[in-house]
Formats: sequence, structure tokens, C-alpha cells
Amino acid sequence: MRLSVPQAILAVALAASLSACTSSGSSSSSSASSGASGGTIKIGVDLPVSGADASIGLPTQNGAVLAVEEANQNGFAGGKFKLDTSLLDDAVQGKHDPAAGAQNVKTFISDSAVLAMVGPFNSNVAKSEIPLTNDAGLAQISPSNTNDGLTIGEDAKKLRTAHPDVNSYFRVCTRDAKQGAALAQVASDRLKLKKIFVIDDNETYGKGLADVFDASFRQLGGTVLGHEHITANQVDFKALLTKIKAQNPDAVFFGGNTSTGGGLIRRQMADVGLGKTPFLGGDGISDDEFEKQAGDSANGSYMTVASPDATKLPSAKSFVDAYKARFKSDVGPYSANAYTAAKIEIAAFEKAIADNGGKMPTRGDVLKYIAATKEFESPIGKVGFDANGDTTSPVLSLLNVRGGKKVVIDVIQLKS
Amino acid sequence: MHFDPVLFAQQLVNGLSLGGIYALIALGYTMVYGIIELINFAHGDVYTLGTFFSLAILTLLGVTGVVTGPMLIVVVAVTIFGAMILCGLTGVIIERLAYRRLRNAPKLAPLITAIGMSFILENLMLYWKGPSPIPFPAVIPNPEFTLGAVTIQAKQVMVILLAIVLMVVLQAFVYNTKLGKAMRATAQDKDAAQLMGIDINTTIALTFLIGSALAGAAGFVSGVYYGSTWFFNGFGAGLKAFTAAVLGGIGNLAGAMLGGFLIGLIEAMTTQFIGDQWSNVVVFSVLVIVLIFRPSGLLGEALPNKV
Amino acid sequence: MSLAARIGSSLPAPLRTQRGKTALAFAVALVLPFLGHNGGFTNFLADAGAFVLLALGLNIVVGFAGLLDLGYAAFFAIGSYSFAMLASPQFGIHLPFWLLLFIASGIAAAFGILLGAPTLRLRGDYLAIVTLGFGEIVPQTFLNLSQWTGGPNGIGSLDQPAIFSYKFGFDALPYYFMVLGLIALAVWVANNLRTSRLGRAWMAIREDELAAAHMGINTTTTKLAAFAMGASFSGLAGCALASKLQLVSPDQFGFNVSVFILAMLVLGGMGNIPGVIVGSLILSALERFVLPQGTNFLHGLNINVDLTNSRFLIYGVILVMMMLFRPEGLIPSGQRKAELHAADEDPTAAAREQTLYTESVT
Repeated sequence: MRLSVPQAILAVALAASLSACTSSGSSSSSSASSGASGGTIKIGVDLPVSGADASIGLPTQNGAVLAVEEANQNGFAGGKFKLDTSLLDDAVQGKHDPAAGAQNVKTFISDSAVLAMVGPFNSNVAKSEIPLTNDAGLAQISPSNTNDGLTIGEDAKKLRTAHPDVNSYFRVCTRDAKQGAALAQVASDRLKLKKIFVIDDNETYGKGLADVFDASFRQLGGTVLGHEHITANQVDFKALLTKIKAQNPDAVFFGGNTSTGGGLIRRQMADVGLGKTPFLGGDGISDDEFEKQAGDSANGSYMTVASPDATKLPSAKSFVDAYKARFKSDVGPYSANAYTAAKIEIAAFEKAIADNGGKMPTRGDVLKYIAATKEFESPIGKVGFDANGDTTSPVLSLLNVRGGKKVVIDVIQLKS
Repeated sequence: MHFDPVLFAQQLVNGLSLGGIYALIALGYTMVYGIIELINFAHGDVYTLGTFFSLAILTLLGVTGVVTGPMLIVVVAVTIFGAMILCGLTGVIIERLAYRRLRNAPKLAPLITAIGMSFILENLMLYWKGPSPIPFPAVIPNPEFTLGAVTIQAKQVMVILLAIVLMVVLQAFVYNTKLGKAMRATAQDKDAAQLMGIDINTTIALTFLIGSALAGAAGFVSGVYYGSTWFFNGFGAGLKAFTAAVLGGIGNLAGAMLGGFLIGLIEAMTTQFIGDQWSNVVVFSVLVIVLIFRPSGLLGEALPNKV
Repeated sequence: MSLAARIGSSLPAPLRTQRGKTALAFAVALVLPFLGHNGGFTNFLADAGAFVLLALGLNIVVGFAGLLDLGYAAFFAIGSYSFAMLASPQFGIHLPFWLLLFIASGIAAAFGILLGAPTLRLRGDYLAIVTLGFGEIVPQTFLNLSQWTGGPNGIGSLDQPAIFSYKFGFDALPYYFMVLGLIALAVWVANNLRTSRLGRAWMAIREDELAAAHMGINTTTTKLAAFAMGASFSGLAGCALASKLQLVSPDQFGFNVSVFILAMLVLGGMGNIPGVIVGSLILSALERFVLPQGTNFLHGLNINVDLTNSRFLIYGVILVMMMLFRPEGLIPSGQRKAELHAADEDPTAAAREQTLYTESVT
């Protein structure tokens, strides 16, 4: 059938508008508008829950979901409001994707029932989301973003051009300047390493962390033998590792995730004679997938997690038990963080509702209370936010892979 | 950095090993292109399937680590032949389903179909084994040999030898058997070959069978060499293997092998002397340069444009 | 009567002309964003519109001139980064948006010529591979030259367009209208090109390059013109999307994007402007609405499949199925249909048909 340009446009326009009207993305049409009493309040959750990042993304999402379910069971806002989640995935073809994250945030923003969000997991996704939440004034707490440029410095300012004086982004975990510095300290003081070769995956988080480690290690008197970037989807690291071996490093540092090559690099280190050489990394390789992919070579790896070990903290015991009972599996490294983030938002909702005389609060009210969080009791300790949205009680866990499993060997309390 | 001959030699070995895998894949590309002038985009993914099939066979055989003794030969033979047969069949099926109908269509059509086929295969493998790399059993014991100060692993020797051996066998087949003759005739002039009584359909199917089988062998070898496999392996490897086929001279078997080794070397040397982040850029730039200045490749004859 | 004809003839008399139909279509397009009940729909329309621009651009290269470009995302990257470097704090340069539309499309066109030049002597499939190679080289190079391009972080806080004192802001509506204007411009340009001498030269090259050369067509300049014009559209799309998203980064320009745009052409009808627009909108709608809705539906039936993650499988199937059964696309141009089905029939009959067949005026 032949259609002219205008006829064609007409046909598709009708189809699209029909489809748009019958679809609502993930936003429900039962959203209450501000000022009404009763209704549903939602927490938007944007995390990579499919694909390669799912092994760490899904348990994180579960933490937030648990918080919401518990709140409903315990009579949220005196039972006048119902709490719900809007769960969206920012992974595309198995990998976290900034454009998908931005899309998800736009969905949250256009859903008036969403008064706050938890996420994202990855720093490069946050970079595309923060300008949007800043513009919309939607409070956003990340359980795991560690890149410094999200809250500090010129880069952070560039993300907040819509409302430069308002901060709507927070994180309950520490940032890479501290993570990288702590790792450098561990390398130099605890592990007594002198010469390290640095690799990164050329992504926002990986490169950022590697750059910080590089600079910090040098500052502590160590030698950085070289700093290379791998390419996306790379599977053969032999040439790179041979190059590194020739320089006789005491250790190899990797800035990046398991899903961008961490596990494979560790595995191939054995092939070039670096199998016994320590392997250092950040929270990007703190997922279980790392041991699977590194295989027998996983032992001798050290990594940090930007959260305390929930299984060791007494304050976290009830959370861990509740999580196990609900999801029939162990907590992930960031489950407690996401749980805490959601709980902070829920507390803010309740305060804002009370302030508003029992009516649906605005995003601005909620944001105000979240920003004012200080000494909030949570499974990960007492949490508060500074003026930049960073946590006032940064803590890192140091893990070591022994006998094929990760073991927490230290908890590092950092200065704010 | 002063020139270190030992390091250079070590990278040479790395490059040749990587190149051996490219060579095996390139053989399939060059055969198919030689006969029907189609870049079988899905070929790289058949290579990945080869690793997946190998993994499945090894799991069936209960192999999770190194196999020792006479069982080793049995395991390797069964797995390689199994992967080759399964991949060969896959190639034949793809040709039958997707490419045969389009043999006389404008070139755009089969090429786009091949891309679609590639996407389909990749996503099927994504469903089969998931998005993350999967561990592959070591299978062969991996002693190290030293040649002077250079360390070579048995795995690396295996890859390089297998590539050479398979190419030689293939060459012998193509030049000394009746079927091989039929393939060469079809590649030279399809219609004339048909007039001489050659069954074109069978010949082409055979070409796909053999080419894909070689990719299957490459798959097994790659699984052992890296100790892991991944659904998306084939995309990059396929592209570079095609570059290798072009570099060596499309349609030329020895050229495909030579091209494969060369591309592997170029990758390794770029990583060593320039930096890992530029290795892909350099390889693809080689592709462009070869196609501008010597499109017939290193071992190909300059073909006149068929009018 | 076909559906289109029935719709066409049910319109009141003054609207049945070509002008009338075009006017109606644009009226609908103008009203469209107000039909959706949240900003999400307008946002989708603005993004989809930018991809229509990209599809129209690729259509010139692949559809008109028959040059299979598998790395079109490279030009998209060049257009986007050109805009980003000249309208952001990156180098402190802040050229006006409307000027940048020209500059970015000009730079993209220049690179179209640069990257097209090596392919001139190559046959169809080799050309495709080289363009694929460029599709890999360009984004990786942008990633590696972090000094100028921001590396993996890309370039952010890009200037938003402004008309006199009205700044566009974060709402998608003004972007949609801007994109609509750009599409109108692109369609006008493409249509004029198609019916011009250059357009006929492209068609001649597409059908038989050797014969075209012997007819006196300068294949070199003709092909380069195709690359340049096609790339220039991506410059426009790059400005639009970059200013809307406020960020350019290397991961926006992978092979998946090139294939996505190609699939739009294949689905809609290569070489046919309305077909390309329809194909583009269908795939955008598929990705944004149909697949997530389908996934929700399946989850409701307790089938745990995520269709959105399967979308590349679906694109692959679309490519294969279309090529096997309807290579001319959903809305073909009559001539293309004849070209692609000629081989199915008796070759002499096909040859006769092609010489007798004249391209109907759309």
C-alpha cells in the first residue's frame, strides 16, 4: 500500500497517541495530587537489576523493597497513606546504561505519587540523572555511587545548573576520594606494597577511582609503574598483563567493575605469571560474580565496599534476619544501604505529612527533611548528610578473598 | 622505554596465540566470501556457539578441570569434533534459512540479513548462558616451556599448532578432492560450474559446513585458552577475523591464516608499545588502510572488476 | 481499497491534495504532545523525532544511494560532540544554538566526505565493513582523547537552546517543536534531493554503479555527496538530542545505535521518505511503549520474560524477516519493490519491467 508522507505521519501519530494513552509506562494513574489526604506515596527505585550487574543490583533493590513493605506493615503515616515502590531497571543488554537511567528518572518525575527515589547504583548513570532530579526537585539517595564529581567540585556544580542552590542528591555511602585514598593507605601501610600498576575500565567510576588511587599512592611514597585503560567488551588481557609483568609489580590495581572485566583480568593474571601477585580493587569487584569469573585465581584479591558489613553489625542483625526471611537469600553488599536510604525517605515522608496536616506532602517538603537527616539510626550505623549530600559517617569494609570466598578483614572508619 | 627483546618475544607469542584463534575464524569467512561473496556476519557468533557447545559437551562428560592420561585425548577429540559438527550444522541451517533465498538479491539484502542473524544468535546465547562471562574447564594440562628467557604455555602452542594444522588439512581438501574442486569451481564462476554439472546448493552448503566447523574448533580452543567464554565474544573477534581475512587476501586460505596471525600480532604490539585503549582503533585502521591501498590483500591477486 | 486510500478519500475535498494532506499531518503533529497525559509522552516524541532525523539521514546514504553504512552512529557522535564542544563549559565556548545547527551539520558533512573517501572504490559489502570499522574507531577515539572530550564522563551541562529571551529549560515540549521543525526541513531537503539530478544519479549508482559510470555520472562526487548529505542530518539530530539530554558521552554511539537506525529503514522502506519516518516511529514506539507494556502483560500472566531486554533479538528478527519476505519495507517506493523482486521472476521479464516502469510521483 502506498502512503504519502502526510498520510503516513497521520497513521503513525494516531497509533502512537493511542498507545500512549493506553500505556502509562510504569506510572500508575492512581497518583494523588499534592494536598489530598490519603492515597499512595511511591519511592522510585532505579537500579541495574538485569544482566551482568544484577548479582549486585537485585539484592540492593530488595533492601529498598523490604523497607517499604515493613513500613506498610507497621502502619505508615497512621495508615492514612499507602507506601509503594516504582521499580525500574537501568540495565540495557545486561549493562548499566546512563540513558536508560535518565529515562527512568523522567518516568518518576512525571508520576506525581513519587516523592523520592533510591538509586542509581552506578556513577555514570547518576551523572545523567542528577540534572533531572535537580530540576524537578526530586530527592534522590544513592546506596552506592562513589564518584566524587557527583557532589564535590566543579563537576558537581555542572550537574546542578537548574537550581544551583538546591541539592537534591544524597548518598549513604562514601565517595571515591575516600575510597581510593583508603585503598592506597591499605596498599602502602597494611600490605607494604611499593610498586603498583594501575588499570581502569575507562568508565566514570572505574577511571575516577583509579585516578584517585594513583595520586594517593604516589603521595604516600609509592611508585605507580603505569596506568592503562582497557576497552569495552575486551576479553583478551594477555598482552596487557605481559606488559605489566615485565615491570615486576608488587600488585595490580583495577578501577572498574566485574562486569567491565575485573574477574577476567584476575583470571588471566595467572596465565602470565602474575597469579600470586595481589589484586586490588574497589566496590566494583565486591560482587559474587567476581569470584566466579576469576575462578581459582580469585584468592589474593583485596577490595573495599562502601558500606559496613551488615552481617557483623549488631544494629543490622534484625535487618539481615528479616531480609533472609523475605527473600530467602543472603544480603548483598549494598542491601543495607538501600534499606537505609528508603527508611530515611520514609521518615521524611512521615514528618512532611505531619507537617502538612495529614495531607499529601510536596517533593520540596520531603527534600527538606531528607537534607536535614542527622544521626539517623540505621542498620549501617548513624547516618547523616552534610551540605553536599555526602554521608557524615563514611565507612569502608576491607575484604580479602580467601579459599574462594570474600571475608571482611577490617572495617575502616573514615573522617567525614 | 628501551627495547627489551625478551618482552618483545613474549608479546610475539601472545600475538600469535590470539592470532591463531582469529586465523581459524578467518578461514570460515574467507571460504564463504570466496564462494558467494557474502560477509557472513553471523560467523563470529558461530565461533562463540562453538565455545558454548564445547562447554555443554564437557559438562556432559563431567569434565570440570584438567584431564590427565589417555582420557585427555578422548575428551579433546570428542569435544572438538562435537563442537565442529554442531557448529557446522548451525552454519548449514543458517545458510538454508536465511541466505539461500537471497542469493540473487542485491548485495544489501543478504548482508543485512546476516547482521540480523548475528543479533539473533547473540541474544539466544544471552538467554542460554546469561550476560556474564562463564568459566570454562581447563581440560588440558598446561605445562610451561622456556625458550631462552621466554615462557610459552602449552595452551598457546596448542592454539598456534591447531590453526596451522587445520589450515593445511583444509588446503589439502580444497585442492586435492573432488568436493574441493567443486568448491573452487563454484567460487570462480557459479554459473559455469552449474553448467558443468556441479550441484551449487550442495557445494555452498558444504562450504558453510566446513567454515562453521572451523569456527567451532576455534571456539573450543578459545574456551581452553582463556578459561572462560561469553555470549558477546563473537562480535569483536568476528570483526577482527574478517579484517584478517581481508588483510591476507579474501578467498585465499593461506592468506586468512597469515592475516589472522598478523592481526593478533598487531593487537599485542599496539598494547605493548602504544596502549591497550588504542588496540581496537589500530586494528580497524589497518582494515581501512588495506582496503584503500591494497584491497586484494597480501596474498590475493589483484582481481579485475567483473563486468 | 487500501486503508490509506480509504482514509484519504474520506477527507473533505480541500484536504485531498498533497498540500492538504501534508498540512493535516503537521496539524496533527503539532497537537500530538497535548494528547498524552503526562510529560513522558512529549519526551518520547522529542526523542523519537530526533531519531526520525537520523533515519532520514541514513536513508540518503543507504536508501537513495545504496551505500550500506553500518557505522552511521559515528556521524551522530561527530555531530553531537561538535555541538558539545562549542556550547558548554568544556572549552568555554558558547555559540548560539541556531548557528551551531549549521556548524555541527557542516562538520558532520565534512567528516562524511572524509570517512566516505576511503570507501569509494569498494564494493557494497566491503564498504559496509569499512563503515563498521569507522563506527568502532570514532567513539573509541572520543573516549580515549579524554583531554578534549571528557573521556568516559563525556561533556555535560550543555547550553540549552533559546529563542530571543525564552530559554528552553528541561521541559521536553520546546525541544519537540524544534525537532519537528528540523524534520520538516529535512523532509523538504530530502525530497528535493531525490527528485533532483543528484538524486537520480544516486538511484543510478544504487542500481548499477558500472552502468552509471558509463553514462557519465561522476561516481566519486556523487557518492561523497551522499555521505555528506546523510551525515549532515546527523549533525542536526546531534544538536537536538545533546541539548535535550544535556550530556554527550561515548556510550551513546555504539554499534547497537547504528543497527537500530538501519532497522528503521529496513522496516519502513529504504529509499522512501514516508516509509522511513513510519519505520522510525514504529521502532521508537516499540522500544518505549510496546515492549515495556508487553513485559507488564506477561508478568501479569506470571511469565517472567523481560521484553525490553530482548529488543535486540527482536530487531534481529525484524531485519531477517523483512529481508526475506518484504525487503522493500512496509511502505515501499514502487521502484524499489521492482528492484528487489526482479530476481524472483524471469530475468528477461524483470528487465523489461524495469525499463518500462516509471517511478510514480508520490
